[in-house]
Amino acid sequence: MSRAGGTVGASEVAEPALPEEFADLAPWLDWALEPERARTEKREASSMAEIRAFYDAVLPRLEEMIRHLEGFRDGDMPAPQHRLYLISLSLVEVANLVELYKRREAVEACDPLRYEPLL
Amino acid sequence: MKTAMREKQWAEKYPDLATGPLPTAPYISDEQFALERDLVFRRSWINVCRVDEVPNHGDYFVRDIAICDVSILIIRGSDNVVRGFFNVCSHRGNTLVLDERGSCPGSVYCHFHNWVYSDTGALIRVPDEENFFDLDKRDHGLTPVNTDIWEGFVFVHLDPEPAETLREFLGGVADQLDGCPFHEMPLTQTYRVEEHANWKVGLDAQNELYHFPFQHRRVLGDAFVTNDKKQCRYLDLTLYDKHSVWSCEFQRGQEPTPLATTLFKFDGVLRSFTIPQMIGEMDFFAVFPNFVILLYQLGTTTSYLTYQFWPLAIDRTIWEIGVYFREPLTVRERLRQEYFKCTYRDTLQEDTAMHETLQAGLASGVKSHVILQDNELAIRHFHRVLENRLNAGRNA
Repeated sequence: MSRAGGTVGASEVAEPALPEEFADLAPWLDWALEPERARTEKREASSMAEIRAFYDAVLPRLEEMIRHLEGFRDGDMPAPQHRLYLISLSLVEVANLVELYKRREAVEACDPLRYEPLL
Repeated sequence: MKTAMREKQWAEKYPDLATGPLPTAPYISDEQFALERDLVFRRSWINVCRVDEVPNHGDYFVRDIAICDVSILIIRGSDNVVRGFFNVCSHRGNTLVLDERGSCPGSVYCHFHNWVYSDTGALIRVPDEENFFDLDKRDHGLTPVNTDIWEGFVFVHLDPEPAETLREFLGGVADQLDGCPFHEMPLTQTYRVEEHANWKVGLDAQNELYHFPFQHRRVLGDAFVTNDKKQCRYLDLTLYDKHSVWSCEFQRGQEPTPLATTLFKFDGVLRSFTIPQMIGEMDFFAVFPNFVILLYQLGTTTSYLTYQFWPLAIDRTIWEIGVYFREPLTVRERLRQEYFKCTYRDTLQEDTAMHETLQAGLASGVKSHVILQDNELAIRHFHRVLENRLNAGRNA
């Protein structure tokens, strides 16, 4: 699970960052993060405009992303697919802010970074 | 079973509990905290982890029970037995294992002088042993703590001679949940948060559904069945000797969010998985004193959560939340689980904020009592059990 961790830099082999059909999602590669804590930190460091732009760009592709990824097992994906998968997890991470809270911070909740995910 | 909307029906089922207000002193009194340490946490079976934390030989897990000033080492031996020990070296009393979880190659050693213990707790090597005086290693293994396992949940009892077995302690909870397929839903995440609140403030706030349509209106919406006044109702409530369970149902026909619309689309993989031991669609088992098992089934997602409330001080608590799902068969199912997990987490972050504002209000001392309604009856039961325990201890 670690090979695609963090943001994507220059690779030794000429490997696309994302599967070819999803090359247009390259602007969102900085959301290809693990573990969960990294996605939460990214969410917390982003403005609502950035979060909404990410959500608006990725949500319409989600069905296609899922169908593409179903051929690969979690944890055993080639790096481009794994990045795509992590972007889908980041979409889930931010969705409640966009769909339910409709604002940057959850209302009347504690600072999310106080929750320490142990796994 | 169908949610009955009649008012004040649960107090009728349990008339001995009475209906009057409860004192606020137990949330804020230092004397109470000391009594709870001696008469509750030192004298109850305490859930420390699941066997999931130590799946392989040599895997260990350390649980600090801060209120009792002890650290417990749970370790799966090379003989596949899960044992519990006090996490203290026999030589000079150093804390033995310092990291919270890990795996040892058949033995653990103390960082002070490298005394080595087997994964079954025996002292097996002492450097410069010849320079000690009549040291018999067989007499100096790790100190065991009473440890027992029910359905994969590991409990310890700090009293050298527990008044009852784990099975007797669990009573009706074990009767209801024996055979529940917890092992088919592995631990997928644990959240830990330190709260500026008494441990019972957090537990009590969780142990009712009256607050759902108010506090969680944004994130849970109309998720749960309500009456015509939009008030949640128990589907069922059972008060055991020490523990309790209340259940509720999910509302049907909710408009899914755009994300949920994609995630809940049928992916061609049918998974029929129900838990026959469940009472409703969400069952909240409060296991005295500080442990909760929350089972739930929504659509094709069957899952459970565990809560542990670890007291640090009268007004400080570590709340630990375990999230458990089946191994996902598809990416869509995996993302659905992520969605449930993030929604749990976001909901509970609202709770953490509430626990702390509750504590501040209680600690101000303005109110001497709190008032409970019929759908908060499990809280009343918990406090009755606690009070009885403290009274029995005081009189002993």
